[in-house]
Amino acid sequence: MGILDAILTGLTELWSHKLRSMLTMLGVIFGVAAVISMVSIGEGAKREALEQIKQMGIDVVHVKRAMTSGELLEKAEERSPYGLRYGDGTAIQTVCEYARRVVPVREVFADVKVGEEPVTVKVVGTTPGYENVTRSAVQSGRFIRESDVNNNAPVCVLGAAAKRELFGFNDPMGKTVKIGKRLLRVVGLMEPKEVGKARAFAALRDLNSDVYIPITVSISDFRISSEQAVPADLVKLEMLSRKLMSRPSKDNSPISEVIIQVENEAATVPTASLIRSILNRSHRGIRDYEIIIPAELLRQSQQTQRIFNIVMAAIASISLLVGGIGIMNIMLATVTQRTREIGVRRCVGATRWDIVRQFMLEALVITCAGGLVGVGVGVGLASAISNYAGWRTVVSVEAIVLSFGVSAFVGIVFGLYPAVRAAAVDPIEALRYS
Amino acid sequence: MALISVRNLRKTYDIGSVRVPALRGVTFDIEPGEFVAIMGPSGSGKSTLMNLLGCLDRPTSGTYTLDGMDVSKLRDNARAAIRNGKIGFVFQSFNLLMRMTALKNTMLPMLYSPEGRNRQFASDALESVGLADRVHHNPMQLSGGEQQRVAIARALVNDPAVILGDEPTGNLDTSTGGGIISIFQRLNAQGKTVMIVTHERDIALHAKRILSFRDGLLESDEPVVDRLYAAPKSADGVDTEAQA
Repeated sequence: MGILDAILTGLTELWSHKLRSMLTMLGVIFGVAAVISMVSIGEGAKREALEQIKQMGIDVVHVKRAMTSGELLEKAEERSPYGLRYGDGTAIQTVCEYARRVVPVREVFADVKVGEEPVTVKVVGTTPGYENVTRSAVQSGRFIRESDVNNNAPVCVLGAAAKRELFGFNDPMGKTVKIGKRLLRVVGLMEPKEVGKARAFAALRDLNSDVYIPITVSISDFRISSEQAVPADLVKLEMLSRKLMSRPSKDNSPISEVIIQVENEAATVPTASLIRSILNRSHRGIRDYEIIIPAELLRQSQQTQRIFNIVMAAIASISLLVGGIGIMNIMLATVTQRTREIGVRRCVGATRWDIVRQFMLEALVITCAGGLVGVGVGVGLASAISNYAGWRTVVSVEAIVLSFGVSAFVGIVFGLYPAVRAAAVDPIEALRYS
Repeated sequence: MALISVRNLRKTYDIGSVRVPALRGVTFDIEPGEFVAIMGPSGSGKSTLMNLLGCLDRPTSGTYTLDGMDVSKLRDNARAAIRNGKIGFVFQSFNLLMRMTALKNTMLPMLYSPEGRNRQFASDALESVGLADRVHHNPMQLSGGEQQRVAIARALVNDPAVILGDEPTGNLDTSTGGGIISIFQRLNAQGKTVMIVTHERDIALHAKRILSFRDGLLESDEPVVDRLYAAPKSADGVDTEAQA
C-alpha cells in the first residue's frame, strides 16, 4: 500500500468522524499553540532585553548616583556630603588609565525657552565622549567638543524628540535657546535613537528628549536637585542651607553618572571592582552610588531566559503529552472499532507492516492537522498578546518548525502502540469479530 | 499437476493446557478448473481447513502445496503475499469496508499488490458480476446480494489461482444465494478454480465435487452426479421480491 493511499485512508477516516477527530486534535492544537505563543513571548522579551543592553553597550560600566535615606543619610551627610561628584570621575580616569573613555554625566531638569512658553526638559551636561559611549550619533552639526568643555562655551545639542518639541519643523541650527538663565546656541542635532517599548532596565531611558550641554556649563549653572527632606532640626537646617548656598568646587560638584568604556566585555567586571574600591575609599564607605555592568545584566537576563525556557518547555511538553495521550486513547478505540476492517485488509494481503503504517499515518494525520491548526492559533495568540498586553512577541520560524515537529513526533510515539495492537490482530479472529 | 495438494494436514489448537485436534491428517488434491464444495457439520474441521487453505493459518504438521509452492511453512509476510495474489476470499458476512464505494472495495487487494492499482480491472470485475451501475455506491446503499457480488469482484480483481467461499450464501435468502452460486458456476465455467464451504446440500450440489468432513477427517470425496445449475437471472434479492 502506497503512502499516499494510506494518508488518503487516514483523511477519509478522520473526515467520517469529524467531531471525534476535532476533539482529538484539540489537545495537540492547544499544545502547539501554547508552545508557539510562549516561545514568541520569551523570544520577544529576550530580543527586547538584548537590544536594550546592547544599546547601553556591552563594554561599559555605569556608576550612578544613588539616594541614601534613613540612618544612612545622616552618616552620608557627614562622610560623603556630595554623593557622586565630578572628582570621582577624575579619580576613576586616573586609576583606570587603560579605559578608553571616562565620561561624566550630569543630569538636571531645567526650563528651556525658545519662544515664550518654557518647556521642562532633561539637560545633560557631559563631555565629548558621551556620543561614543552611548552609541548616539549627531545627525547634523556637531556634538560638544573638548574646547566647549574647557571654555565653558554656551552651546547645546538637541536630542531628536527635544528638537521636535522645541522647534517643531523649523531648523534650530544656530538658533539660541534659553536654558535656566543662560542663552545657549544650538550647534548640533542628535539622530533619533530606537528605544524599546517596555523598558526592562531602569538604566536605560529615552535619550531622544535630552538636551546636551558641556558639563562645565551644567556645573556652573545648575544644581542637582537633592531629594533630601528639609530637616526639622535647626542645626541641620543651617548645615543644609549652607551647603545649598555655597558653591562647591568643580571636583565636589555632584554629578549623576560616570560612564566608563573599556577595551572589551571581559574588562568590565575587573574595572567595576577597581572602581568600587576607589569609590569606597573616597566616599568613606557610604554606598551613595551604584555600579551597573550591562554585560553582567545581559548574562543574568540570559540565565533568567534559560530558566524561563525550561519552564516553558516543561509546560508545553505537558500539554503535548496530554494531547498525545488523547490521541493514543482514540486510536486504541479506533483499532477496536475497526477490528473487522483490519481482518479484511489482512485477508486480502495486507502485511502487519501495512497495518502498522496505516494506523501510524492516521495518528500522524491527526497530529499534523492539529499541529497546523495549532500553529495558526499560536501565531494568532502571539499577535493578540502583543496587541492587548503590549508585550513584544517574536514568532520565530524555529518555534513553528519545532512545535510542528514535536506534534508529528507525538503522533508517531502515541500512534505506535495502537498501530502495533492493530497489526497484532489475528485475521481469523478479526473476521469473526462483530 | 494439482493446483492444490494437501498431504496429511493436521491442525491442533492449544487451548490452555488442553490440546484440541481440529484436523487430524487430511490428504487430497484439487486440479485447476475444479468446483469443490466442502461440507460437514460444525466441529468437523471445515473452517480450520478453510483457514489453512486460505493461508490465514499454518498447519501443525503436513504440507500444503498451492500452485506448485509449499506454502505450509511460509512466514507471515509471505503468506500475506500469497493471500493477495493467489487467493480470492468471499465471506458469509461479505466483509466490505463500509466507508468505501463498491469500486474502492473492489480495489482493496490492489493496494497491497506489487502490481499496483488498476481501476480498469476493478470496474471490469464489477461489471462481470453485474454491478456496472453500482460502482460508486457504498455498501449501505446495496442489497445483501449486491454486497456479496462486490465481495466476489474484490476476490477476482488480482486474478487469483483459487476462489475460496466461506458459506458465501449463508446470509442470503435462497433466490439471492442462487444468484451468487450462478456467478461461481459461471466463473468456474470460464476456468477459475472455486472452493466453497457450505453445510447446505442444495448449495453443494451446484459444485462438481463434494468433500465431506467429520471429526477432523475427510469422510468422503465424491463427484456430483446430478449437478444443479443456478438461474443467473434472480441474482438479486431485491429484484426477486419486486418480481414476486
